[in-house]
Amino acid sequence: MESLRRVMCVEDDPDIRMIVEFSLTAVGGYEVCLCADGQAALAQVPLFAPQLVLLDVMMPGLSGPETLERLRLLPQMADVPVVFMTAKALPEQVEGLLQHGATGVIIKPFDPVRLPRDILIYWEHGRGCLAD
Amino acid sequence: MPLTTLHVLVVDDVASSRDALAEMVRALGHKVVAVDSGVAALAALNTRLPDVVFLELWMAGMDGFELSRRIRALPDCRWLPLMVTSVRQGEQSVIDALAHGADDSLAKPVNATLLEAKLRHCSRFLGLQSRLASMAQRQRDIQDNILDAVLTLDEHEHIVDANLAACRTFSNGTPAGLVGHGLRVATGFDLPSLAGPGQCVLRRLDGANFPAEVSASEWREAGEVRTTLVVRDLTEQRRNERMRDEFLAIVSHELRTPLTSVLGAIGLLASGAAGPLPALSLPLVAAAQRNGERLSKLIDDVLDLTKLEGDRMVMNLRSQPLVPLLHEAVAANQGYAVAAKVRLALFFDLEAVHGAAQVRVDADRFLQVMANLLSNAIKHSPAGTAVTVRISAEAHGYGVTVSDCGRGIDPRFLARLFEKFSQADSSDGRPVGGTGLGLYIARLLVERMGGRIYAEQGAQPGEGATFRLWFPATAIDPPGAARRADPQTRLVA
Repeated sequence: MESLRRVMCVEDDPDIRMIVEFSLTAVGGYEVCLCADGQAALAQVPLFAPQLVLLDVMMPGLSGPETLERLRLLPQMADVPVVFMTAKALPEQVEGLLQHGATGVIIKPFDPVRLPRDILIYWEHGRGCLAD
Repeated sequence: MPLTTLHVLVVDDVASSRDALAEMVRALGHKVVAVDSGVAALAALNTRLPDVVFLELWMAGMDGFELSRRIRALPDCRWLPLMVTSVRQGEQSVIDALAHGADDSLAKPVNATLLEAKLRHCSRFLGLQSRLASMAQRQRDIQDNILDAVLTLDEHEHIVDANLAACRTFSNGTPAGLVGHGLRVATGFDLPSLAGPGQCVLRRLDGANFPAEVSASEWREAGEVRTTLVVRDLTEQRRNERMRDEFLAIVSHELRTPLTSVLGAIGLLASGAAGPLPALSLPLVAAAQRNGERLSKLIDDVLDLTKLEGDRMVMNLRSQPLVPLLHEAVAANQGYAVAAKVRLALFFDLEAVHGAAQVRVDADRFLQVMANLLSNAIKHSPAGTAVTVRISAEAHGYGVTVSDCGRGIDPRFLARLFEKFSQADSSDGRPVGGTGLGLYIARLLVERMGGRIYAEQGAQPGEGATFRLWFPATAIDPPGAARRADPQTRLVA
C-alpha cells in the first residue's frame, strides 16, 4: 500500500488553514495543498493529485458537502478519502456528514499535534471501513 | 319595603280571586301581569319572563298541574319559581303539584303576611340565582379566554362542555359542533389514547396537524363522572425551541471557529513543533491551553445541557455488550491518565463477563459519561495511584464503579454533587478546573438511558471517591437494529 504524502486542505478561515498546514507539514511531514474554497479545490485536484482531503463544512460559495459531491465526479477522486472538519458537533450532524459519503469527521477545535495521526488512521482504515 | 321589585304573573280563571291576589302583590310594591287561563299564561311567558308565577291549581281547561309541567318544559323556565294557589284542603294536591314542577304553594284566601314572606324568600332565591348566573358567566368568560382547548366529557366520552379555544380548534367556532358529539369524532382519539403520558399529534378542523400536550382530570357532578381535558397546542413552543436550538448551534459554531485557531496555535507552540520555548513561557502556554480547552468543554456542555433540559437530545438507544464499551472508555482516557501518572485498571465480576452483560444505552453518550467520571477521578488522584473501574452483576442490572484514591468528596457537598453548577472547593489545593456542569449532564444522560448514578464516600477519610452507575439488564436487540458506529466514526466519539 502506498504511503500517505499529499494532503489537500479546503478551509475558508485563513488562521485555521495556517494551523492545519503547520500541523501537517511540521508535525506530520506531509506535503500540503491549501485551498480557500471548493472551486479552488476542484481546480487544484489535477495539479496536486491529493491522496486525502480535509474539507471544511461551512464555506462561502460551495459548501463542504457540495464540494465533496463535485470532487467525487472527478475520476481520480472517486476513492480518495475525504474527511470533514466541522464545528458542528452534534451526533446527528456528524451522522449526516458521514451519510453524505465522507470517510470521517474531525471536530473543531481539533488537536493539531494529533491531527497527522488521525488522518493517517483514516488513510489506513477509512477505505476498508467504507467497503464493508 | 320589598328587597327588589319582582315581576309577578298571576294565573287564575276566577276574576275575583285573581284580582284580589294581584292587588295584594301590587300593594307589596311588585309589578303584576294577571291572566285568566293556562293558554294566556304561556303566551304571557313568551312576551316577558316573570320572576315568579302564582297559578291556580283548579282551573277550567288547562289546570295548574298541566300548566306547571308545560312551564317547566320551556327552555328558559327551568328555575322559574312556580307557586300554586288553591282553596282545597288536603296536602295531596300540593304534593302532586310539586311533582309536576311547582316549587311551593299558597292557600286561599291568601294571608298577606305569608304572601309577603314568600315573595321575600323568592327575592332572595332570585338574588342567589343571579349571583350563580354571573359566576357561571365569569367562569365561561375565563374558560373562553384560556388559550388551551378545554373539553369536558361525560362517562361515555361525549363532550358536554367546550371552551372557545376547543370550538375553534376542533369545530366551526361554536359549541354546537362539539357538544353532544363523541370525543373520537371530534378529535380522532378516544380518552385513553389522549390522556396517556407524553405528547401527541392532533388534527385541527382545517385538517392541519399540531403537536399537543393533553392533561386529563376526573371529577364528579351529581354522582356522574366527568373528565376535563386541557389540550395545549405546542406549535409555538416547538417553534421557539427550534429557534433557540438554531441560535445555539450558530453561536457555538461561531465560538468554536476562533477557538480552533487559538487552541491550534497554542497546541503547536506547547508541543515544540514551532521550536523550543523558553522555560519561563512554558507554564504560560500551558495555562492558555488548559483554559482554552476548558472554554471548548463549556461550549459542548452548554449545548448538551440545552438539549437535555429541553428533552430534545437525540438518543440512539441500543442493547449492546457493556464490557467492550468499558474497554473503549478506558482506552480513550488512557492518555490523560498516563500524563497524570495515574494507572487505569479495569476489573470484571466473572458473572457479568460470562453472562455477556447487555445494557440498552447510546454508546457515544455512555462513553461521554464514562469520560466525565474517569477524567474527574484522574484529576483528583495523586500521582502513582490507580483509578479502578469495576463491573458487577447486580439485581436486575449491571453496576459500574469508578473509584479513585484522592481525598474524596466533602460530605457537605455529597448531596448536591449532581446539581447544576455545583463544584466543590478544591479541597486538595490543586486547581481542578471544570465547568460545574459535568456531573449534572452525566446524571441527565444516565437517567435518559434508564440508568442511575450515585456517588459514595470512602469508609475512611482519604479513601477516595466512588461513582456508581447502574443500568438495567436488557436482551440483545434483534438483527437489523442500529449498529454501533463504524470504526470510521471512532475519532468523533
